[in-house]
Amino acid sequence: MTQNQSTIVALATPPGKGGVAIVRVSGPLSRDITSKILGKSLTPRQATYLPFIDRSGQQLDVGIAIFFQGPHSFTGEDVVEFQGHGGPVVMDMLMESILQCGASLARPGEFSERAFYNDKMDLTQAEAIADIIDSGSKQAAISALRSLNGEFSNKVHLLVEKVVQLRIFVEAAIDFPEEEIDFLADDNVVSQLTDIIQDLAELMRNAQQGSLLREGMKVVIAGKPNAGKSSLLNALSGKQSAIVTDIAGTTRDVLTEQISIDGLPLHIIDTAGLRKAKDKVEQIGIERATREIEQADRVLLVVDAAEEKIEDVEQTLSKLLDSDISLPPVTQIRNKCDLTGELPDVCESENLVTVTMSASELTGLDLLKQHLKRVIGYNASESGVFMARRRHIDALTRASEHLDTGYAQLTGMAAGEILAEELKLTQNCLNEITGEFTSDDLLGKIFSSFCIGK
Amino acid sequence: MIYDKSFDVIVVGGGHAGTEAALAAARTGASTLLITHNIETLGQMSCNPAIGGIGKGHLVKEIDALGGVMAKAIDHSGIHFRRLNASKGPAVRATRAQADRTLYKNYVRCQLENQDLLQIFQQSVDDLILQQDKVVGVVTQMGLQFNAKSVVLTAGTFLDGKIHIGLSSYSGGRAGDPPSIGLSERLRELPFNVERLKTGTPPRIDARSINFKELEPQHGDSPVPVFSFTGKASQHPQQIPCHITHTNKRTHEIISGGLDRSPMFSGIIEGVGPRYCPSIEDKITRFSERDSHQIFIEPEGLETFEVYPNGISTSLPFDVQMAFVRSIKGFENAHITRPGYAIEYDYFDPRELKASLETRHIQGLFFAGQINGTTGYEEAAAQGLIAGLNAALLVQEKESWSPSRNESYIGVMIDDLITRGTQEPYRMFTSRAEYRLILREDNADLRLSEKAHELGLLSDALWQLTATKRDLINLEIERMKSSWVQSNSPSAQKINQLLEKPLSREYSQMDLLKRPQLDYAALVEAIPGVGDGLPEPVKEQVEIQAKYAGYIDRQLDEIERNKKQQNLKIPAQLDFSKIGGLSNEIIQKLSDTRPETIGQASRISGITPAAISMLLITIKKRKIRLSGTESSDTESLSVNPKVEQS
Repeated sequence: MTQNQSTIVALATPPGKGGVAIVRVSGPLSRDITSKILGKSLTPRQATYLPFIDRSGQQLDVGIAIFFQGPHSFTGEDVVEFQGHGGPVVMDMLMESILQCGASLARPGEFSERAFYNDKMDLTQAEAIADIIDSGSKQAAISALRSLNGEFSNKVHLLVEKVVQLRIFVEAAIDFPEEEIDFLADDNVVSQLTDIIQDLAELMRNAQQGSLLREGMKVVIAGKPNAGKSSLLNALSGKQSAIVTDIAGTTRDVLTEQISIDGLPLHIIDTAGLRKAKDKVEQIGIERATREIEQADRVLLVVDAAEEKIEDVEQTLSKLLDSDISLPPVTQIRNKCDLTGELPDVCESENLVTVTMSASELTGLDLLKQHLKRVIGYNASESGVFMARRRHIDALTRASEHLDTGYAQLTGMAAGEILAEELKLTQNCLNEITGEFTSDDLLGKIFSSFCIGK
Repeated sequence: MIYDKSFDVIVVGGGHAGTEAALAAARTGASTLLITHNIETLGQMSCNPAIGGIGKGHLVKEIDALGGVMAKAIDHSGIHFRRLNASKGPAVRATRAQADRTLYKNYVRCQLENQDLLQIFQQSVDDLILQQDKVVGVVTQMGLQFNAKSVVLTAGTFLDGKIHIGLSSYSGGRAGDPPSIGLSERLRELPFNVERLKTGTPPRIDARSINFKELEPQHGDSPVPVFSFTGKASQHPQQIPCHITHTNKRTHEIISGGLDRSPMFSGIIEGVGPRYCPSIEDKITRFSERDSHQIFIEPEGLETFEVYPNGISTSLPFDVQMAFVRSIKGFENAHITRPGYAIEYDYFDPRELKASLETRHIQGLFFAGQINGTTGYEEAAAQGLIAGLNAALLVQEKESWSPSRNESYIGVMIDDLITRGTQEPYRMFTSRAEYRLILREDNADLRLSEKAHELGLLSDALWQLTATKRDLINLEIERMKSSWVQSNSPSAQKINQLLEKPLSREYSQMDLLKRPQLDYAALVEAIPGVGDGLPEPVKEQVEIQAKYAGYIDRQLDEIERNKKQQNLKIPAQLDFSKIGGLSNEIIQKLSDTRPETIGQASRISGITPAAISMLLITIKKRKIRLSGTESSDTESLSVNPKVEQS
């Protein structure tokens, strides 16, 4: 049983802002995941205090980790528990890193279920587990329902319908090759498939946006040295997180601060000033800044209002970065307006928002906050924005991979049966979101759509 | 009177299910009696003269791998062979052949007559002899009693069969044969759930009255495919073409004009017909936007002029049949030799069967073929083989065996039937199989022959052929995984000509074979020594396994992951209503179907994952409670790998 099992991960403590949060991993990859997240292996059953790091080597949190070697664990498999500081964002990033190591998200009650299979329970426990699984599935249903209202749910259902519709064509072409309905040979299937791939990409963009609302938007502050980036971080966080001096190049590394604007989480990342640095440490700082910008949801490009007026922000930023990365959306911050005498202002042109403000005097800070709230998608009724949990994004990502493979197989090798397989897997992924696994009567739909039969 | 010899197994019926059942039982060492109402119609093809097709060809290859007769019979009687889906991937390619009915029938009869331990008797069976809930024999029309330890019933469409042509109807088993009314009445007294189904045939036409010059010929494939893993094209008789014609607007008008006298549209026929094999009147009504439908003109044999116009099955009155047939191109002067008809017959809800095809109500009684709600020779034959085998195993006090969904189409079919039942005649399609990429025609022998040999269905010599093939395949795959092609070698240069980008580093031959642009033949061409001395089927398997590698691995992983749960047995005595937390609907469904394993339970429609969890816990609790006290019961709860082996 322990062999050939998948490795599962879940937050073992209730989600929210608890003091401590526990992420539990169970399965054959546990040992491997331990050493990837901690950079070392652990002595079984011994609590160790150490940093958790992600794949890029970045520290996520510092906490306690305990490794239990199977069968001496709750589930009977290798288990590792990470006890961190409980910020939902940090824990989510930890989960993401673990998922990247090959684990999959646990179903409700799956840990208990495994414990049960592996004879880790006596009669009383088994009876208790029944209730847990029962209520777990109810809870999951309720929470799935909550996160699935409205538009997102409709779009997923619509997508499933389109996938089923395409499967009808593909399966009919496979099972009834003599019925003058070889859809695989005509362009119809390719165009339907392309359509679905586009819809899914759109859905993923929306879901990602929705998750910004829940999981926090990553905002990187960038700009030339001494433009006032660290002052902006301090202004937004309301405390002295970063050291501010007049000396250009004070901030040499990446500084992260979690803040919330009216309850909306934001990760503000201050970076080293962008310039040709000779100093080795500063150079590394700039490299890291570049990486942060690449991964950011939005960049605040801080410019000194007294010094320059920028026409093409993106070009300026690319030049500053000295590397060719794709840029996230940019907001220009014309800082130090107290020195030029300009009034605080938000100005939206075609594809650029400029906020004029003074970080050190805190003038215009509210305007900036309003602006950030808007881009985060605070206006929940705004079309195309909805809540989506990591589970959804995970499922959509896998669905998208299956569609891409299916497309390549169909167009490259005319392999209809592999397209059929990939479409089935795509539908399974989407069903994970809606929770509907009723087997649909594909054959019935084929018979009612086409005249089959000699 | 009581016949002086008692048998291990009696098979009632000599169609495709009955003949495979009798042969399988006898091969495994059971003394077997086949009772048919007419020895002349043993192995008769009652519907269209063809074997195989998508999904069905897969079944035929599996029957062959399990030592059955169907593939060999069609290899010796096929007059037109084709490989369907040849342009698609190997998993969905399927073989089909037109048969000479007489040659087919003769081959099957010859095999039956030459089978050790098998005897044949001609007489209708009217009754079953029961002792409480156990079958111990049968009674024939003239009152003769045959005793046996198990009975396989393969009555086809004969149970209370009713033939319809227009508004008139009469009792019949198929055109020209009497129905089994006595047996049907007897079975209706037993606690079986009986329903009605319907199927139909087209009018047959005298080929001499058809103008073939007007029609499009369709020739068989070359090279000519074979069905049996030991078959050869040289076994085939002379090959002849089929022809294609179409219905037209005029045909449809004539049919529409006759609908008021159609037994289907006037409500006389109650049985449900298959949606994938609709009558022509059904087609033009449901798809009224189409003004033409295809007709395959299938020859009935080399020595007869009769043809089977596939695509115009009908139960309209004969005058309408004549008129619409003569409106079709090429059929202007057609002479109908036999009218088309619809037939209604009894079938038993297959959810009352075990996976062994033994009925849950009567011990020792097995059902196979159309009486289980299926249609098609291949579906019937496959069930017959499994029922005959298990009837013999029961007598020999051995554990029953039925292939699982992940190792065969036969397993998919049986599981579908016993788990979900069927509302229309059940036919095999590849889309019914979730492990379609693994369940291919080309590897049926590799999937099933070892088990068949173990069960006594397959001779040592035949198994040896498959074992050798399997070993050669594995050796070749291992060799290719560890044989490398350097990027600057002459072999690489030849290979580069087929690739978009030249090889930049060394690759194993196996990795090269996985590339879409390369096949095994290309590697034979490019690399000296590759493929030397290897038979074609071995090369084919290596190539398919390379091309499907990722998918096969994923499906095998899934099978392995689910294995323990899938095969966990549900105790036969378990009272589902005593399990807390199950809805009444779910309790009802579980009680009706009585799944044998957790896997089967999970496939019943409407059974939720939460219900499965509750079921698992209940089984586990029983196990804990019983452990130490009743070891035998505990054993039945544990996984038994012999039951469903992949």
